[in-house]
Order: sequence, then C-alpha cells, then structure tokens
Amino acid sequence: MKILVVDDSKIARMGVIKSLKDVQPKAELFQATNGHEAVEIFKKERPDVVFLDLTMPVMDGYEALKKIIEIDKEAQIIIVSADIQSEAKHRVLVAGAKNMYPKPINGEIMMRIFEQDLLL
Amino acid sequence: MKVKILNSEFNEDQIDALREFMNVSIGAATANLANLLDAFGTMHIPEIEICNSNELADKIESTIDLESMYYATKQLFTGKFGGECMFVISEDSARNLGRHLYNITVPSGDEINDAVIELTNILTSTIVSRLTQELSTQVQFFVPSLQFIDANSIIHDEDVAEYSKIIIISTILDFQDQQINGNIYILTKDEAIESLKVLIDKKIEEIYGLLKLNIPTCYWTHLKMVT
Repeated sequence: MKILVVDDSKIARMGVIKSLKDVQPKAELFQATNGHEAVEIFKKERPDVVFLDLTMPVMDGYEALKKIIEIDKEAQIIIVSADIQSEAKHRVLVAGAKNMYPKPINGEIMMRIFEQDLLL
Repeated sequence: MKVKILNSEFNEDQIDALREFMNVSIGAATANLANLLDAFGTMHIPEIEICNSNELADKIESTIDLESMYYATKQLFTGKFGGECMFVISEDSARNLGRHLYNITVPSGDEINDAVIELTNILTSTIVSRLTQELSTQVQFFVPSLQFIDANSIIHDEDVAEYSKIIIISTILDFQDQQINGNIYILTKDEAIESLKVLIDKKIEEIYGLLKLNIPTCYWTHLKMVT
C-alpha cells in the first residue's frame, strides 16, 4: 500500500508516520511539505491513501484537496489539521475528503481511520 | 516558513516542533473564537523568531500600521515554560468586534474594552494552555492588562530591559468577513529558553525515537516503513 503524508512540519509528518507503524507496518510512505508537492507526487505515484494538512505554504490543503479530487474523484484523503472549526470540516467533506481529524492523531485514531473511513 | 535565527539556541527540528505545537494551539484558539463570534477564522502559519530584546519593538512595529491606535493586552504566565502573551488589535478591528459581539452599530468604549478582554481571555488561555499541554507541563496565569495606545508605545524599553534574548512566536487572528484581525505574540525570556528546549527535545524523542528513522529535510522523499 502506498501512503502519502503531507504537512509542512517534519514533526507533524513523523507523528502521522508513527501512528501508522502498527496499522500499516509494510506501507510504502511518501512525504510532501506543501500542497503543490502533494499534487505532483499524487500524479506520479497514485497513493492509496493521502493524509493532508490544511495550513501550508505554497499551496494549502484546501487547494491540494481540490486538485487531487480533480485527478481522481475516488481518492482516499484524510485531513489532519490544527484547524478544528466545524466550518473547516464541512468544507473539506464537501470537497471530497473522507474525514477530518484534529492534530495530533495517535495509533488508536489511525486504526479507526482504516476501519471506518477508508474504502480500500 | 519564515524563521529568523539570530543565535544557535534552537536547531531546525526544535524550531519545527515549536512551530507545530503553536499551530495546534492556534487552531484550538481559533475554534473557540469561531464559536464566540459564530464565524469562520482563517488560520495562518505561525512565525518563530529568536531576537535580541532591543529588536522586539522593531519586530512588532513591522507587523502593524504605525499610524493607527491599538488595544494591546498583555498576560504573564509562569512555570517551566514562562513568558508573556500579547495580543494587539487595531482600533477599527476592536470596534468591529464590539459591534459583532453585542450586535449593535455603535459600541461604547466600555463595550469595546469588554469585548477585547473577553476575546483576549479566550485567546491567550487557549493558546498557552494547549501549548503547555503539548509540552506536558503546566503554567500559572496572571491577570491580563489592557492598554489603548499608539503603535510606538506597545513595547517600552523597560519591558524587556532585563532580558537578553526573546523568542517571538507570532501569528495573525483573521476573521475576514467580520473585519476582525489581530496579532498574537508569545514572548518567552532568558530563563524559559533552556527549559523550553528540554520540553521540546522530550517530545521530539517521543515521536522520532520510536521510528529510528533519519528523514532528510530536502524537497521530498519516500521511504519504506521500518518495522
């Protein structure tokens, strides 16, 4: 399984990767530090799952979400963000994300994501 | 990311972690304010800057309009991570805040003051509490002070005279539809720097240590999970 982790913060990306360790131990992981990189990697690698931050430089998560869904409307995208406003969640769900979780996520939440949110 | 490091107090990983913890804290505060204002706030990436204390006033003045009057609230907090949280909001934004909170066209001076203090209380307590939660420590808050002042008077030399280095963590409060914008600064001073580094290193070890991965910080990379 290919998984793309997108966040401008290294420690935030590592937090997601750490929580994936028990749930998807053999996953092939890709990292991007902004939305533009995420879209380019998505085009090239077609990951099965994308974990996407919202507040990023160059291209934010809202724009990246839109572009990835344009490429593949079935893309399995989970938003992981510090923005915990209900309006933000509403926007990303309307745009095609499978669900949205507040930072930081842990192994228990990651388990739930793979069991309940993703169509794999 | 705008990071200006004037000394070697923090390495790249420590700055990244501090900025991310601050990002999570700002997110919690923005959500609380969104509930208060029944509005949507746009989040901005926090800036981390380490500067000499005599540069603080210049830094703050560079982010605001020097011709405007401002409400500036300052709240001290002490503990392993001690410092001062300062919120600066322009006269126009404060008036818009008063209008929005009280649903009136022309709020009085007292109503504006109350609105700014209410917003500040939610903002500073949420940000600092969430930040210290991320760092697994606790702080004690002191009563905030409110001033209505011009841009040049926000920081006086005597405020920072006893300190040599100051860490500025700053971001923007942005409720654009309501035309309410403000600047938030968390100022931590000499004695807090070492304990802050220890707290950050502990969190980094918690996350990086288990992975045993050396992740390049270059453009992008991919890796196989180590099991």
